[in-house]
Amino acid sequence: MVLDTMSRTVVLGVIGSDAHVVGITILEQALSAAGFTVVNLGVQTSQAEFAEAAVAHDAEAVLVSSLYGHAEQDCQGFHRVLEDAGVDAVTYIGGNLAVGQDDFEHTRRQFRELGFDRVFDSETDPEEAIAALREDLRISPPESERATISS
Amino acid sequence: MPSMIRDERIPSDELRRIDDEIRSNWSTGVDVDFEDAVAYHESLPTHKRFADVLESADKPLLQPRAGVPRLDDQVELLEYLHREGQADLLPTTIDSYTRDNEYEKAQQGLEKARETGDDTLNGFPAVNHGVDGCRELIESIDAPIEVRHGTPDARLLAAITFAGGFQSFEGGPISYNIPYTKRHGLAETIEKWQFVDRLAGAYTERGVRINREPFGPLTGTLVPPSIAIAIMLVEGKLAATQGVRSITLGYGQVGNVVQDVAALNALQKLGDEYLPDEVVVTTVFHEWMGGFPPDEARANGVIGLGGMTAAIARPDKVITKSPQEFQGVPTKEANAAGLRTTRQVIDMAIEQEIDIDGITEEQDLIERETRCLMDTIFEHGDGDVVQGTLKAFDSGALDVPFAPSDSAKGAVLPARDDDGRVRIFEWGDLAMDDDIKEIHKARLSRRADTEGRDQSFRMVADDVDAISDGKLIGRPRTQGDV
Repeated sequence: MVLDTMSRTVVLGVIGSDAHVVGITILEQALSAAGFTVVNLGVQTSQAEFAEAAVAHDAEAVLVSSLYGHAEQDCQGFHRVLEDAGVDAVTYIGGNLAVGQDDFEHTRRQFRELGFDRVFDSETDPEEAIAALREDLRISPPESERATISS
Repeated sequence: MPSMIRDERIPSDELRRIDDEIRSNWSTGVDVDFEDAVAYHESLPTHKRFADVLESADKPLLQPRAGVPRLDDQVELLEYLHREGQADLLPTTIDSYTRDNEYEKAQQGLEKARETGDDTLNGFPAVNHGVDGCRELIESIDAPIEVRHGTPDARLLAAITFAGGFQSFEGGPISYNIPYTKRHGLAETIEKWQFVDRLAGAYTERGVRINREPFGPLTGTLVPPSIAIAIMLVEGKLAATQGVRSITLGYGQVGNVVQDVAALNALQKLGDEYLPDEVVVTTVFHEWMGGFPPDEARANGVIGLGGMTAAIARPDKVITKSPQEFQGVPTKEANAAGLRTTRQVIDMAIEQEIDIDGITEEQDLIERETRCLMDTIFEHGDGDVVQGTLKAFDSGALDVPFAPSDSAKGAVLPARDDDGRVRIFEWGDLAMDDDIKEIHKARLSRRADTEGRDQSFRMVADDVDAISDGKLIGRPRTQGDV
């Protein structure tokens, strides 16, 4: 299965005016260690920059981070921008996605309706996101990890 | 072409020219009138004069963070925190769109808040509310209020909030560049913050002492104390050059009590030494700025440790956290609870004689490290701290871990030693004496031996999550996490 070993490209960034960088720094390291090619756009990334990078690098996934509470206003129309740019990638969003103390199930529904394939809260480990990516991109986990999952 | 900007006071005609230029950036800019504003400040009662209240206190004053989009809600929130939280000083936390000079987006968020009643912004859009909105807030609250934000280009925000009656303004050209933006160069933010400080100096010359507070925590995640303190000294000097005479230097809790107390002691001592005598130097201790436990009871534990540290080190001010910090902006009740938890621990501990070994040695080490960094800044700039800062960041001799800004290399990586003190694991090009590097190396290798694993980025990542996971040091989880 040569396809499995070929490196899959994901685009990663913090959307809007948000400057929280530690989360994506840790996530980038974990994704690279798991064999993904990571295009890290850094903080304060616009919708257009996500779309351009996804097209330029033929990304299979676009991972959006937001911790400062303005994710909803920042993500309005985002999936139409991706569509117009011809991006056909899985999209995830994670972090603190509402300003205050929210009910996460309500927030998850909200961002699923906006077009995101998966929505994560800020308690999620990188490993969970990586496992979800493997499932959505139909990548079988490498030998070493396969044992731990089945145990 | 590297910028030739220097640490020199802006001439008053230049101050007026810039003042006129920025006022056109948003419709509320036209209401700014310096003479009218000075008269307004002079009309304020003494208990609303920030610098005097702060500098005359005999024990640490408590201040939360708080900002909501609508004016009436902001008044109600601050009244609640003052009454129920017993806050000594009040904040007005500015929303992130305003920090990014995106006033149109802030306007959309404000209008949505008015339509729905929801807090659609993570702070108070002071520019959109304008001078009169700010004055209504100042009138309504019987305590001094500070503008808290994270704005690389804060010129219009300063012009409007100063004219609106605020007498304290947080931030600086490095501490609000490196952790807060990818888009602004350091030379640009230094130049723009010289205007903010020069405007504060102009008010100060007229007897309205504007307190300025450089942002100590920087990226808020395991910042080595000496790097934070050096940047505070630089920002303090830049503000003093423009005429600021009340400066509060900040520091973010790392969680090791000995290191935190030592760092706060060093901050005050070096502040007095490096800043001009005519400046009144105070300090502010920020309770833990990294990830919090998702469990409110544990979060109160983190806040309590902050209170204990403050009781020992006695900074002039403490910025409190809330038990709901994990999930973002807290309810007013939780915010007030964080204030009262901090107050309880300080008031119980502050009258005790608590004598801890190791503080003096740690303070000496922090001071030696800070002097190395200050020396390299002066060498890089031939004595000019602006040129020195630009060149030191450019060469990597000065650097900040986890820096989103392109102005810093972000090559330096921190990790906790076996005692939980923040050390430097990856030095990059940071200017530091070799014997100091050896001390860090030895401390970190002792931890690696204890944990039976090599020093690696994994150790750094574990430390980033440690406190939210319930510990100080990111030890490997039980089975083979090597």
